Amino acid sequence: MLWQTRVPDGLRLPELDNARVFEGAALERAETYERFLRLDFIASQLVLIVVLALYAWRGAGFARESAAGRIGTGMLLGMIGLALVWLSQVPFRVAETWWDRRYDQSDAGYVTTLFENWFALGAEFLFISLALVIVMALAGRFPRRWWIAAAPVFIGLATLFAFVTPYLFPTEPANAALQADARRFASAQEIEPPRLSVQDVSGFTDAPNAFAAGFGPTRRVVLWSTLLDGRFSEGEVETVLAHELGHHSGNHILESLAWYALFALPGTWLIALATRRRGGMRHPAAVPVSLLVLVVLQLGSLPLQNAISRHMEEEADWVALETTRDADQARGLFEKFTTLALADPDPPAWSTALLDGHPSILERIEFAEAWRTRSR
Amino acid sequence: MDAPVRLVVTDDLRRSRLTVFFRLLLALPHFFWIVLWTIVVVPAAIICWFAALATGRPPTGLHRFLSAYIRYGAHLAAYLSLAANPYPGFTGEPGYPIDVELPEAAPQPRWKTALRLVLALPALLLAAVVGSGSIGGGGGGRGSGADESWGGFLFSGGGLLVVCAFLGWFATLALGRMPSGLRDLAAYGVGYSAQTSAYLLLVTDRYPSSDPDAAGPRWSLPPHAIGVEVDDDGRRSRLTVFFRLLLALPHFVWLTLWSVAAVLAALVNGIYTLVRGRSAAPLHRFLAAYVRYSAHVTAFATLVGNRFPGFTGAPGYAVDISIGAAERQSRWVTLFRTILVIPAFLVSGGLSAALAVVAFLGWFAALATGRMPEGLRRLGAIAVRYLAQTSAYWLIVTDDYPYASPALRAAYEPIEPAAELHGEAAA
Repeated sequence: MLWQTRVPDGLRLPELDNARVFEGAALERAETYERFLRLDFIASQLVLIVVLALYAWRGAGFARESAAGRIGTGMLLGMIGLALVWLSQVPFRVAETWWDRRYDQSDAGYVTTLFENWFALGAEFLFISLALVIVMALAGRFPRRWWIAAAPVFIGLATLFAFVTPYLFPTEPANAALQADARRFASAQEIEPPRLSVQDVSGFTDAPNAFAAGFGPTRRVVLWSTLLDGRFSEGEVETVLAHELGHHSGNHILESLAWYALFALPGTWLIALATRRRGGMRHPAAVPVSLLVLVVLQLGSLPLQNAISRHMEEEADWVALETTRDADQARGLFEKFTTLALADPDPPAWSTALLDGHPSILERIEFAEAWRTRSR
Repeated sequence: MDAPVRLVVTDDLRRSRLTVFFRLLLALPHFFWIVLWTIVVVPAAIICWFAALATGRPPTGLHRFLSAYIRYGAHLAAYLSLAANPYPGFTGEPGYPIDVELPEAAPQPRWKTALRLVLALPALLLAAVVGSGSIGGGGGGRGSGADESWGGFLFSGGGLLVVCAFLGWFATLALGRMPSGLRDLAAYGVGYSAQTSAYLLLVTDRYPSSDPDAAGPRWSLPPHAIGVEVDDDGRRSRLTVFFRLLLALPHFVWLTLWSVAAVLAALVNGIYTLVRGRSAAPLHRFLAAYVRYSAHVTAFATLVGNRFPGFTGAPGYAVDISIGAAERQSRWVTLFRTILVIPAFLVSGGLSAALAVVAFLGWFAALATGRMPEGLRRLGAIAVRYLAQTSAYWLIVTDDYPYASPALRAAYEPIEPAAELHGEAAA
């Protein structure tokens, strides 16, 4: 049921050639740009695993820094784990900033890069503390079966988080013309129009983006200000808008929660299993191990997560084409993602599996062409 | 090791209401005088710096001149902050009720001399909070013109001295005496500022110590229902220091939630105490745990304590607050508690600023050395004690008024009045 899509069965995509779609220089620039980012990602994940493995091995020693009892000490160990993760990623974040600046993808300074995420890090500290309070309290009561009770709690928290996400970052209402477009497209997709907002991101990136957030009464589409800075035509922005509305009309936020719910139980069970040798999650010493297991599980499930995400993005692309009925604008938009945002149009398969939550640029162009052929 | 700059307190707490009322106006000639003196001191200090760099010790004449200036600044600061009563002399001669003893000129390492201004920055920052931010030790330094031209221009914060002077002014006009806690706190501020000035002006190469016991008299601390117990070895984990504020976030959230409940409980406790003359035992326990917990969190967040505290306010933390059982409380004091606590809140504000500076400086020091400097730690613990006393008073845990003296633990030994000493000597 979760795999259902509004993309027609048996849709045949034309096979386009990168070299024919893009100029050689633009193609090479995008490929070079993304190649470095892929290497940066791989290196950062390897370091992450090594750091967490070391932490799982020796991290329990940090318990002596706590006077907080079982659960409080577990929280401290969880937060220290996150702190080490943050520290281990600093060189890669700096390298990424350097690369982005070199390719004119960002004006952010190095100091800004390091410290702009401190609020997010604080939120993560709070989140892991809350998660550990729940897990360790349940594990204290049900040492071997805590995971059965914990999974529904985490699903509830994830649902709450998805519900309030639209309120977690500052936005401005979009202009009247865009609002009118949103109403028109929402009507075409047979949904109530959600709130349409613009987030000013010009201070830290030039990359274009938009997203759908919330569900029920909190539904919202957010366009980044970089999408409205004159580099994209009106029709291209409309394509983006229709795409994001497609996520709402396809209930993709709730679908994502359902996917999460599907994996929450086995995930918590695996953590419970892996931490038994440290006495189980009722003991603070198990926390560093649980962090390692959690990260390994997340990395291991990346291909599946990305496949699910690409499936939804594909559907949103199709719905956008059906809404705007303008394949030229869609194609123009996707081409600019490569020429302006330097997205590699045809990345290697492993990169798609591990890194790409969207279909490749070439696939999206092929998709637009397939819609054009079908609609004739 | 004895501190080369020592604070001497022989004040008897008595004040003349008339001179207190007109204190600022009476000090006007001193303002003009210190401006003139400072204009001379600046080039003198520069010459002294070159000479000390060349010869390895400050010239004796300049050293004496700068020492007199520091003493004079301390006298004036004490006079303005009401830490002392007599009108000070204009020459910085020793013998004032709040005085500083300064060392003779001695050899100083050249590298310390060369970097003096940079090295003095942390001390100046702290002096800006516990003193007035002026190098002359100066309470009221904000108004003292060129006195601000050194540290004061950098740090123009009001400081604890201003709070002490403000509160002391009202108290003295009412009582004819300066409250001893306020006097001691002001004297400490004068002493620390004098240490900083002496360091900056090359009178000594010993770095200022913020430990109130290191360079001061034996501070008084009367018996109080709320005390502080410090059992900390000064060692700090660099990792938890680096992320200290983030690590404290869960505690901040929990403390906020608990605060809401505590205020409601205090309201009920206040009504109960008005009727029965003592706190309800369960509410007393609840509020005592809250006071202890907020002290633990404050100590942890400001690096005064090292270990991650528990969430229940149970006793046993390295910087702990001792709270006795519920005792009888004055109904009058309970009825007017919210008004009576305002002066304590003002002092708490000043000490909180000091605590913030302690945490800021301690963060760098602990990251570099893996230890929290003793002076900062003790000053921080004193601030934590006072904040705990204030919240215990406000929340009707006790009717003992917060005591501002910069003491951690001491027997109550009031300093003998200077007049009586003189009288005995005469006899």
